[in-house]
Amino acid sequence: MSKIVIIEDTEKIREELKTFLIRYGYEAVAPINFENIINDTLKEEPNLILLDINLPIYDGYYICREIRKISDVPIIVVTSRDTEMDELMSMNIGADDFVTKPYNTQILLARIETILRRVQGSNIRDTLIYNDLKLNLSNGSVTYKGKVAELTKNEIKIITCLYKYKGKIVSRDDLMDFMWNADVFVDDNNLSVNVARLRKKLEGLGMQKNIETRRGLGYILP
Amino acid sequence: MSIKEYLKDRTVFLLINFTLYIIISGILLLININSKVILLTFCIWFFPILVYIMIEYVKQKLLYNELNHIMDHLDKKYLLTEIMKKPENIEGKLLYDVLRRANKDMHEHVNNYRDRENEYREYIETWIHEIKTPIASTRLIIENNQNGITRNIKEEVKKIEEYIEQVLYYSRSNNVSKDYLIKEVSLADLVKRVIKRNSRDFISKGIIIDIEAVEGTVYSDAKWLEFIVNQVIGNATKYNREHDGRVTISTDRNENNIVLTIEDNGIGIIDKDISRVFEKGFTGENGREIGKSTGLGLYLCKKLAEQLGLGLIITSKMGEGTRVKLIFPLGSVNLMH
Repeated sequence: MSKIVIIEDTEKIREELKTFLIRYGYEAVAPINFENIINDTLKEEPNLILLDINLPIYDGYYICREIRKISDVPIIVVTSRDTEMDELMSMNIGADDFVTKPYNTQILLARIETILRRVQGSNIRDTLIYNDLKLNLSNGSVTYKGKVAELTKNEIKIITCLYKYKGKIVSRDDLMDFMWNADVFVDDNNLSVNVARLRKKLEGLGMQKNIETRRGLGYILP
Repeated sequence: MSIKEYLKDRTVFLLINFTLYIIISGILLLININSKVILLTFCIWFFPILVYIMIEYVKQKLLYNELNHIMDHLDKKYLLTEIMKKPENIEGKLLYDVLRRANKDMHEHVNNYRDRENEYREYIETWIHEIKTPIASTRLIIENNQNGITRNIKEEVKKIEEYIEQVLYYSRSNNVSKDYLIKEVSLADLVKRVIKRNSRDFISKGIIIDIEAVEGTVYSDAKWLEFIVNQVIGNATKYNREHDGRVTISTDRNENNIVLTIEDNGIGIIDKDISRVFEKGFTGENGREIGKSTGLGLYLCKKLAEQLGLGLIITSKMGEGTRVKLIFPLGSVNLMH
């Protein structure tokens, strides 16, 4: 499990962000004391740092520079300053990415995933396994009990989203949001068609109990 | 200044001289002095006066002609006292000093307003950065407690964010130079980012989006560009039809420009409104009917586009749709290769 340190002085954001990241399967730590923030952070040996810029005692730019002197841990700067200049400044002091507040949480999540995948090598999140169904993201195929099927881009996105919710119902709206965030701008009909095709492919692999439709609620991968 | 006007100014002086001359001639006549002598007196008396008046007239005429000339060619008229020669006569000196003092006072006055405006602008920007923190936490709270209610709140929060962004760009629109960074911008990435921002509107209204034909890169400020495109695409979803709505975005590369076209098949804009859509505060028929129009969106777009050196053209047919073209000139700052 990847560990993320949240350096953020607003209590609400700190706590909610922690809850949010934990919900998506990360280990999240959010220090409250900023006096020895650099040492405290590095002691946690995080896989990634989310860093606010306006902080008490030391500002984010200083912290970022100091951490860079010691460690190469990925840093995402999260700030409400949103000009290109601020972005450039963050990149110059060694941050890996820059996200502006108030962020779209799905985008933040996507950025975290991208950076972690890049840093930790491609093996981490390339294959997703749930029950007996194995999803290989690098070549876009699914394997079920030794049988393999190729998926289209849209189908991969749908199944990835269902995987994320693992056995919980995903509403059509959430599924749509997920697809659109991944640059797949499908409409309502298209989505139904794609889900139907995906279901057929999974059935073809011999997986009889696959994606279920819950009327008025959404889809579920039981 | 004509000679007539000039002489008119000196009427009193000339009248006094005439009266004196007439009185003296009267006295001279009474003591039987030859009328030729009286005529000679006239010449001796008035010739120098006329010469003096002529010289003074020419001098003054030259001075005011020069001042007028400077005034006509001066971009900032109030800088006159800095440019004009300091006059040498006493009247000129006095006026010059008075003018300088008045100018100085005016400068202080203007500076005062400039400071106040900057202060206000800075306050607005700080305020915007501050309000983003509670909005960010609201978003996270919503994310962590997803249900029908928070989904509705999320939509409203999104609207608040749009309004806040508008305030930010409004306060920035008067001096772009401050936060302006020209770099390579991929049009496809830009359009995708904006579509994602508006995804809820597209999905809930079932609007089909076609961005197949978007390609190429331009050199501009990504943030400002995103604001403009977001306003335009936002309008394309807002003023769309109930069913079968469609937004088509494409790029065309011409000999001397790249054109980003955003086209919808929505309700369109009535002819009498189309020429006024870029006016500040103009809402028009559609604004009245659909509501939620501030009349600032397109005004800001036009203003920002001008500052970025881009063309912005809007054409529309009532009931058929609207087409907005954002034109990036080639060969200028916007495209370096």
